[in-house]
Parts: sequence; structure tokens; C-alpha cells
Amino acid sequence: MNQHALPRWVVIVVTLAAVVWLIPVVWMVSLSLQPNDLLSRTTANTFLGLVPVPFTLDNFQAILSIGDTPRWFLNSMLVAGGSTFLVLVTSTMAGYAFARIRFTGRSIVYPLVLAGLMVPEQVVFIPLYVMFADWNAHNSLPTLALPRVALPIGVFLMTQFFKDIPDSLEEAARLEGCGHGRIFWSIMLPLAKPMMMTLAIITFLYSWNDYLWPLVSAQRTDFFTITVGLAKIQGNFAQSQGLGQLMASGVLASLPVIILFLIFQKYILRGIALSTDK
Amino acid sequence: MRLSSFLQSDNFSGWAFILPYLIAFVPLLLWPFFQGFWMSMHEWNLLAVTFNPAAKEFIGAGNYIRLMGADNLGWSLQPLWPFRLVVTALIIALYVRTLRSQATAGISHHFIAAIALFTTVVLLGLTGDWYDTRFWIVVRNTLVFVAWVVPVTTAVALLLAIALNREGRWAATLRSVFFFSQILSVTVVTLIWQLVYGARNGFIANLLAPFGIESPNWLTDDQLAMGAIVAATVWWSVGFALILFLAGLQQIPGERLEAATLDGAEGWRKIVQIIVPSIIRTVQFVMIMQIVLHFQVFGQSQLMTQGGPGDATNVWVRYIYQTAFRDSEVGYASAMATVLFAFMMLFSLIQFWVTKRQES
Repeated sequence: MNQHALPRWVVIVVTLAAVVWLIPVVWMVSLSLQPNDLLSRTTANTFLGLVPVPFTLDNFQAILSIGDTPRWFLNSMLVAGGSTFLVLVTSTMAGYAFARIRFTGRSIVYPLVLAGLMVPEQVVFIPLYVMFADWNAHNSLPTLALPRVALPIGVFLMTQFFKDIPDSLEEAARLEGCGHGRIFWSIMLPLAKPMMMTLAIITFLYSWNDYLWPLVSAQRTDFFTITVGLAKIQGNFAQSQGLGQLMASGVLASLPVIILFLIFQKYILRGIALSTDK
Repeated sequence: MRLSSFLQSDNFSGWAFILPYLIAFVPLLLWPFFQGFWMSMHEWNLLAVTFNPAAKEFIGAGNYIRLMGADNLGWSLQPLWPFRLVVTALIIALYVRTLRSQATAGISHHFIAAIALFTTVVLLGLTGDWYDTRFWIVVRNTLVFVAWVVPVTTAVALLLAIALNREGRWAATLRSVFFFSQILSVTVVTLIWQLVYGARNGFIANLLAPFGIESPNWLTDDQLAMGAIVAATVWWSVGFALILFLAGLQQIPGERLEAATLDGAEGWRKIVQIIVPSIIRTVQFVMIMQIVLHFQVFGQSQLMTQGGPGDATNVWVRYIYQTAFRDSEVGYASAMATVLFAFMMLFSLIQFWVTKRQES
């Protein structure tokens, strides 16, 4: 770390920039806590609207009791949770095999999987849509969750991780006659816990925030995720009508990721650094 | 071979362990990827094929020809030329200076200078008569979007990283603040920024009101809409570049900075002569990652401006989406997606070659 003192003006400028950086989010939260009829007149009531005075929780009550928002929230939870779980299972297993088992075909399959890192969602979403349509499988939660499981980033991370574990740890177990199942379950998985944590959090984040796939796959509002649902009501609301409720939906849609961020910031940062590792 | 020994062999275990992943990978990534190519070679209407699976027609490169079918390709260099002249001069000056100060100036210097020059000279100059179909308009818009977002994000993130690369609560708090916006979903980001830009009760309008200035209509003005989207995107994505730059800065040996300070290098000189050359690889890597990432821009255009006004902010992926799901022309849309993929591959390959050359 650089320990030289910064010039005072730099400190001031950067601090101010950080305050400005936060304004949009603070404003959203503050608007969600102000009464709707006030917002239809002005969005700059107290301190440009940045302080929620007068204060009300009506908007949150309204979106939680009527409308589809709770349903969308639940869908997002199930889709993001489900795909995170499946990503963890499949990528730890595959990562272990690619890193530590010498099997015929590994040198072909692994590069193929890595090549998949280059294929973005935007390139495959049309064929995926047509395929799921052929199976009559749209408008279901598994369809929303599954395409993310196919992304190779988790396999890549876990393979890199398992490669770095020294052989000596495995050797002892092997001499006692343990098979790959045992070694994987009782030696490798416990070691991989922090890595799995990182993978789980970034998978959940990306899955929660995903927009394109749920947009094309879910046509019935019952199967919207919160991201798509929020986009839908953004389009429907006139800017001044129900603004408080719209903002409350935005806050609700961000709540899980904000909580994850506050608790697991370190894991998220590490995940980003690792997943972009050259 | 006995069954039990087969079950214990590495071959069996290996395939058994990768099987669950392959069950997802093969049908949901590998196959759709090739299916995309296949579809792009067909006249394939989504609705028609749903009713009658035989209603697709193989047309080979037909869709690609349709895409490239602009017969008056060419570009005008007129607009923005004073701006581009200044920036070009600046880039050349910086390039020459880093070359002089660093005897070991490597391929990455030339590379970054080339990208920067290309960006300012060519991309920002693409206007008017370069295209004659909507496809080329959205390609140009996407390139303009990338050409603004990537350098601005990189510059902001790099300066912030240099300022915040230190211990203590102040730096740690600010790092979190700048990173925070990154974790929000595109729908939330666009929700917030649409309101910030709102002409009647937007935040900027509120800010300007006491001075009697009327806020322009940021998102419906064809001069301003792209800039507005770019600004929101920079706000959204600086955190990502910031993290990678901080990781890069950690690897600069403290002595090098120490020595530079003793030599009297301060402020900008230190940044330009010591810090940037030390992490030039990270800079180049982060820029390419962002180029690939922002080529895929969709939500900002779809949600903030609906591609408008006119097609002023319509972008590549949104046009693919429209062609496939509004016009039902999935074959033609697949051809566009394939060309997009080729573009992104090109940048990934450049990254790969450059890294390879640096290593050898």
C-alpha cells in the first residue's frame, strides 16, 4: 500500500466524488420512504428529497400487500438460490475431476469447457429460447435457473483452486485406500469452503441481477423475476404516479444484493479478482 | 476387466465427476452455440416454424449478405474534428513521453496507443454515410457507446485506485462506496437514472431549478441521450475496474515509488511516469475486458430510452432482441449475434496474443 499522504485537495475532491456517487441510491431510498401524494407534487421536498421527511412506510406496505412484487421477489430468490446450489454442486465436482483425476478425454473436454468462457449469454439466448419453446418449457422456474448452470466460470475457478492443493494431502488418504469419492468429500470439499463461498456469492449476485434471459423466457407475470418485474412496472408507471411505490420496489429488488454486499464484501471482491484472472 | 475395478478406475471416476456439469453444459451452452450458427444460415421465422417445423429455408450466407448489404460504405471525418485533433495530439505526446522515460517500453505501449488512436480517429468519426441500414446504425451506436464508456471508466477508476490504494478507514470506506453501485441490477440502475434525468422532477432538474435553468430532456434529446446512458453506465461500472486496478497496484514494489519520490517526482509526473507504466498490463487487460463486456450493452438502452429518440441509442444486442422477438426473424437475428461474437472474439484474441508476446 502507498503510505504517502495525499495532498489535501485530493482528499477533498475524492471524498466529494464519493458523496455524489451515493446520491442516486440515497435518493431512491429516500423517495421510497415519502408519501406518494407529496411525490406527485415535488421530488425535492427536504434537502433535494435526500432526506425522507415526511416519513412513511406506506409504499412498502402497499407493494407487499397488493400486486405481484412479493411473487417476483420469491421467484428471484428461488431462481438465484437454485442456480447457485446447482452451480456449486456441478462445478466443485467437475473442478475436482479436471484438476486431480487423470482420465481419458480430459485434455479434450477441459479446453472445450474453457472455450465456453468466451461465449456470452447474448450469443446463445435465441437458440436457447427456441429450444425451450420446443419443449414447451417456458414460464417455469427451472427454465429460468438452468442456463446459468451451464456457464463454465465456476468450473474454471474450482479447477484452478483444486490444482493448487498439494498432493501430500491426498497421498495419505490414497494409501489408506480411499477412492475419489471419499477424497473429494472428506478432504477436498472442507478445504474448498472459502472458495465455494466466493463462487456462491458471485453466482447469486449475477443470477439475481440477470435481465436478458428472464425477459425472453418468462412471458407470464407470475414467472417474472424481480428484475424483469421492476422493468415492467417502470414502463407502466407515469413518472409522477406511484413514484414512491416504484422506488420501494427498486429498494426491495436491491435489498438481497445490498445485504450480501454488506456482509460478504471481501468475498465479492475476491470473486471478481479471481474470475477475471488471466 | 472386472466391473468393480472399472468402477474404481480413474476413467470412470473422472467422467462420473464431470457428468453433472456436462448435462448442463452440452445442451445449454455448447449446442445452442452451434445451433446459433445453423439458424443464422436459415430464413427462419419464429412463428412460422412454431406452426410448421419445415417452414425454415436454408439460405447459406444470405443473412450475412443482408447484414453487410450497405453499398455505400465509407465514413466522413468531419464531425468532432477539433476535439479529435486535441485528443490525438495528447495521445501521441503521452506515448512519446512514456517511450522516452521507459527504456523497456514494450508491446503494450504501442498497443494502447494504437487502440486510443483508433478510437479517437476512426470510431468517433463514424457518422452519416458509413451505413445505410439500421444494422449499421446500431453497430455505430454500440461502437460509440464503447468508445466513450471504456476510456472514461478506465481513467476514473485508475485515478480513484491510485488515490485509494492506501490503508486506513477513509480509503476503505471510499473503496466500498465506489464499488457499491456495481452490484445493483441493470433494472435498478436504469430506474434510478431515469428519475435522475427526469425533465420535470428529476434530480438534475431539481438541482437546476433554483437557478432558473430549465433542465434539458436528457433521455429524449438525440444529442444528449447517448451521453446520458454513458454517464449512468460509467457510474455503474467503475467499481469493477477499480477493484482490478487496486489489485494491480498492490504488485508495484514500494521501493519503486519511494525512489521516484526521492527523485522529486510528484503528482502527475509520478502517475504518468511511474505508476501507469508499472501497471500498463492491468490497464490493457481491464480495457479489453470492458470492451468485450460493453459490446453486450442491452438494458440501459432498452429501459432508459427504448433505443430512442429514433434509433439514436439503439444498440447491437437490443436490435438482435427486437429482430428476434418483435419481428420473429430469429435466423437474421442469429446472424447478427454471430457477427457480434466474432467482434468480441477478435478483442479476446488480441488480448491473448499480447499477453503471450509479453510472456515470451
